[in-house]
Amino acid sequence: MRRVAVVGAGMTPFAEHFGLGVKDLVPMAVSEMAAHVDKGLDRADIQAAWFGELSSTDGFAAGILADTCGLLDIPVTHVENACATGNDAVRNATYAVGSGAVDVALVVGADKVRESSARSTFWEWAAMTRDQAWDYPLGLVAPANFALHVARYLHESPATREHLAMVAVKNHKHALPNPKAQLRFEITVQQALDAPRVVEPFGLYDCTPQSDGAAALLLVAEDVVDRYTDRPVWVRGVGLGLDRVMHQHKRDMTTFPPTVKAVKAAYAMAGVTAADIDVAEVHDCFTGVELISYEDLGFCERFGAADLIEKGVTAVGGAKPVNPSGGLKAKGHPPGATGVAQCVEIVEQLRGEAANQVDGARTGLAHNIGGPTAVSAVTVLSSERG
Amino acid sequence: MTVLTAIGTYLPPWGGPKGRVPGPDEDAVTLGVAAGRAALDGASPTGVRAVVLVTRELPLLVGGNGAALLGGLGLPHDVPVTEQVGGAPAVADALLGAAPGTLVIGVDVPEGGLAGASAGLVGERGVAVETVGRVVRSLPVESRTPDGVSRDYADPRLSRERGLGGAVEALDLADKPLAVAGVPAKQAAALCAGAPAALPTVGASSLLFAVAALEQGGVVLATEQASATALRVESVPPVVRDEPTAQPVPRSSTTPGPEIAISLASYERAFEAKLRWEAAKCGSCGTLALPARFRCLECGAEEGWSSAALPRTGEVYTVVTVHVPVPGLPTPYSLAVVELDDVGVRALVKVTGAVAGKVGIGDRGRLVFRRVAVRTGIPDYAYALLPEPAAATTEGSA
Repeated sequence: MRRVAVVGAGMTPFAEHFGLGVKDLVPMAVSEMAAHVDKGLDRADIQAAWFGELSSTDGFAAGILADTCGLLDIPVTHVENACATGNDAVRNATYAVGSGAVDVALVVGADKVRESSARSTFWEWAAMTRDQAWDYPLGLVAPANFALHVARYLHESPATREHLAMVAVKNHKHALPNPKAQLRFEITVQQALDAPRVVEPFGLYDCTPQSDGAAALLLVAEDVVDRYTDRPVWVRGVGLGLDRVMHQHKRDMTTFPPTVKAVKAAYAMAGVTAADIDVAEVHDCFTGVELISYEDLGFCERFGAADLIEKGVTAVGGAKPVNPSGGLKAKGHPPGATGVAQCVEIVEQLRGEAANQVDGARTGLAHNIGGPTAVSAVTVLSSERG
Repeated sequence: MTVLTAIGTYLPPWGGPKGRVPGPDEDAVTLGVAAGRAALDGASPTGVRAVVLVTRELPLLVGGNGAALLGGLGLPHDVPVTEQVGGAPAVADALLGAAPGTLVIGVDVPEGGLAGASAGLVGERGVAVETVGRVVRSLPVESRTPDGVSRDYADPRLSRERGLGGAVEALDLADKPLAVAGVPAKQAAALCAGAPAALPTVGASSLLFAVAALEQGGVVLATEQASATALRVESVPPVVRDEPTAQPVPRSSTTPGPEIAISLASYERAFEAKLRWEAAKCGSCGTLALPARFRCLECGAEEGWSSAALPRTGEVYTVVTVHVPVPGLPTPYSLAVVELDDVGVRALVKVTGAVAGKVGIGDRGRLVFRRVAVRTGIPDYAYALLPEPAAATTEGSA
């Protein structure tokens, strides 16, 4: 397979964009990406596009990308893989470029959670990923899916609700300098512990906000990379993992096997180990998910996550900074856009141009888990060609 | 003459000294199932050849409640179900006219009223019951029309003297009854020989609550406003009571919003296993699948499935409590993944009969038939975890 590089990255702010549709956010992200290409982008160079989106009120996904970005003469593929959609779109485009099928590929992710009224979001979005007869009518709303895992995790591991709160505090702090982040304010551990309960053990500050936004990447083959930049970021590894869909069938709910499978594939393809990761964007839709993911991604031993967050290892300045952008928790989480935006952050980190820069970062990782916890996608990026 | 083999009773776990109220996941079908299962305790379900459900609160007037009732009771599909609107006299008449093998269930779950259910199994051997007299009259001091609107004429003395009083007069009983079903305790006591036990309900279920409370055989009066049936029971049949201690109704809130959508195709595929609490059993390796599936979880076999009854007890593997408002569902509520005893099967269920948040990992309980949701007007029945009493009163770890 040919080497694949990211030569352009851009995103809209993540926010409640009541005034903008997916039709607006997608071309905005693509234009920002194009402006970020060091030596400029002639859109006629783009040979194919992959578009990650879960749902929209604007209509047919692939057509919207082609239409709104003026890309009517290339194939556009819609990718939907629950909350792993963004990094899976990156994976598919990487294969297309790596295989030699195309030299220049566009990856876009977008979603607008706030197209649903605040109170109907649960039912409308839950209907996409639940068994309609067995699970859906029980009121298995999104936070409950993850809380079932985290409740068991808190039972078996040394982690406590305080450790969940520490994740929220860290990610809120990380979002402060990020102009694209939705929640740019600091909180304290006590505030997180005292916040209204959403789904026990999660309080309000353990949860991602409901977000709208879009993000875009330009992936090119190593043969043509010099046309676009002298500072490419290489897509070194991609991986996707799945698991049983229903919680009833997951034997050990203190871990996410899809993540373990996805990251194993991505590390193997990249020829790196967890020790080589300098910075990571990890799927923290709920705080406890970030803790479990430390272990699944190999950042620490099983049940070692509480120690990691407690000692500040995963804060910017620590040895293994996680979610310098603020993560889903504070940057926001429009599902289709999330994974693509994580890669935008890692690209900026590896080029030394991030808003909350990790010093000397050379290799980074982006991670999604969803569906509700049955699919994970991981992308390993590096400034080193490998 | 009819022979009564057994009586089963059920009272919801919520309420106070004034009586029981149904939980948000209970209706006439779930109450009837609970009482019916109590009556069948130990009896072979194959011996039941007919079911009569008497209530004034049928969940569906069109759409049918019979299949849900049979599913919850674990009875075969060819058992005829009669859904009858009525009170205590209707239950008396159903019992007195029933063939052996008939399960007669009376359920009360009126809006704002007293909730409870009782069931009697008519058989070959047991306690003889015979008709003493019957009078059907009209004095509708309380009324309810098909639109659900209830009206009260508000004249209790008229009701007492010309309604029930007139009925008793017309019956011209030789002996005073031992119990009167269908009226408040004070009014019943005034008509009885001795001091009858106070009954938890005043509707269809009240007759068998009255019989179950007897200390000896005698005449019992089943009344409803101006109508009454008098029956004589030879002695007291065996009674199985599913009557948990009443707890104060927990605070909960309901959020307006969109109704929970339903796919009736998906409902129909899941219905039997979901209401009968059955897994699919792989013919090749014996692995149980809940819900049923095309390809075995364990060995990959794709044919030879049979159905297998699931255990109705288990232990909480993980549990969470939803506090955030969810339109169409009263919150808070707890959701648990329960490891069923000895079969290697877990189920995702709602917790019932306990204050939300009070059940923790490792707590034990039994799986009971409940209405987990109403989806675009359709009751959605499934099983819920009823924690063991000790578990429900200790603080959960979740």
